[in-house]
Amino acid sequence: MTGDERLIAFVDGELAPEEAARFEAEMAADPGLAARVARHRALADRLSAIYAPVLEEPIPPQLLSAASAANDAAPRAARRPPPWAALAASLLVGVVAGRLAWPSSAPLAEEGGRLTATGHLARALSTGLAAQPGVVKVGLTFRTADGRYCRTFASTPDRLAGLACRDDGHWTARTVTAWAPRPQSVYRQAGSDTPPEVLASVDSLMAGEPLDAAAERAARDKGWK
Amino acid sequence: MHGLQRQIVEVLPRLRRLARVLARDAADADDLVQATVERALVHQGQWRPGTRLDSWMFRIMKNAWIDESRARNRRGRVFAPEAQGDVIGLDGAAAMQARLQAGEVARAMARLPDEQRLAVALVLVEGLSYKEAAEVLEVPAGTLTSRLVRGRMALLAELEGDAA
Repeated sequence: MTGDERLIAFVDGELAPEEAARFEAEMAADPGLAARVARHRALADRLSAIYAPVLEEPIPPQLLSAASAANDAAPRAARRPPPWAALAASLLVGVVAGRLAWPSSAPLAEEGGRLTATGHLARALSTGLAAQPGVVKVGLTFRTADGRYCRTFASTPDRLAGLACRDDGHWTARTVTAWAPRPQSVYRQAGSDTPPEVLASVDSLMAGEPLDAAAERAARDKGWK
Repeated sequence: MHGLQRQIVEVLPRLRRLARVLARDAADADDLVQATVERALVHQGQWRPGTRLDSWMFRIMKNAWIDESRARNRRGRVFAPEAQGDVIGLDGAAAMQARLQAGEVARAMARLPDEQRLAVALVLVEGLSYKEAAEVLEVPAGTLTSRLVRGRMALLAELEGDAA
C-alpha cells in the first residue's frame, strides 16, 4: 500500500483498528500528514453533501412505472408518461412501493389542475356499490363536512387505489396510490386492503360515519347530489 | 407487486444519486436510471435473493453507463457538462455560494476519467466499502484503491489548485 493509499484508507475507515491507531499516532507527530488528512476529509464531506439532496427529490413517475413493469415480461420500451402522470405523482403519498402501470384507457385525466376519474373508474365510482364484485372495487362511502360524497376505490387493472370526491358532477381524486390486489385472500375482511395513505385521507375528510349499504344505494340512486 | 420490484423502488433514490454523479445532466441521469431498471428486470433471474440489490443494480448501471459512454465517444460527442446548477435543487440567493461550489465539484468530477469517477462516486457519494465497490466495478481491490487515490488527487488539485 502506498502512503497515499494508506491515507485515504484511513479517511474512508478502511484500515484495521490497529493500523488506524498507528496512523493516528503518526498524524499526531506530523502536522503535515494531519493537514493532508483534513483536506481529504473535507473533499469527502463536500462530495457526499452536494449529491445528498438528490435522495430527497420526488421520484419521476416514469421511473416508478419502469420499476413496476410487468412481472415477468420484458419491460416496455421507454415511453412518455400520460399527461396526468405528473399530477398523479404529486398526489402519491408516502413511499410508493406499489405498481404504477398506465393502462391504455386511462382511469384518470387532468382537468383544470384536478385529477378527474374517467372511463371505467368514473363508472365504478358513480354506479358501484361496496358489496359488488368487479375489477374496480369501491370501499367506503362517506360525506365531507361540506356535504360532498367521497368514495375509496381500488382498481385491479390500473393497479391504483385512492379516494375520490364528487365535485360538480365529476369524481376528483384526492389521493391516489399504487396498489395491487393481494392474492389468495378469500377470507380478507372488506376494507382491510385499503392502503394506509388512503385511510389517512379518509380520516381527514370524513364527517361522521361512513354510509351504510342502504344510504350508499340511496345516494347513488339520487346521482350523488 | 413482486418483492424484487418493491425493492427496486426502494433503491431508486440511490440509483438517481449515483446517476447524477455519472451523467451529463439531470435528464440524462434519469434516462440512465430507467435503462438500469429495465436491464435489471430483464436480467432479474441473475439476482440472487439475499444478496445486496443495491450493489447488483449499481453494477448494472455501471455497465449501462459505460456502454453509453462508448457510444457517445464513437459519435465523437465531447463530454461537456452543463453548468450543473441543477445538480441540487437549491433556492434563494443565500444558496448561491453553495450552488457555485456544487457546480465546481461537479465539473471537477466530470473531468475525471470514467473509471476514477465511478470509484469516487461509489465510495465517497454512495458510501460503499472498498470491497463492495470493487465488486460493483468487477475489479481487484488494488485497482479500486489506485483509482480512488488518483481520482481524489485530481479532484483536490482541481479544487484547490494544488495536489495534496
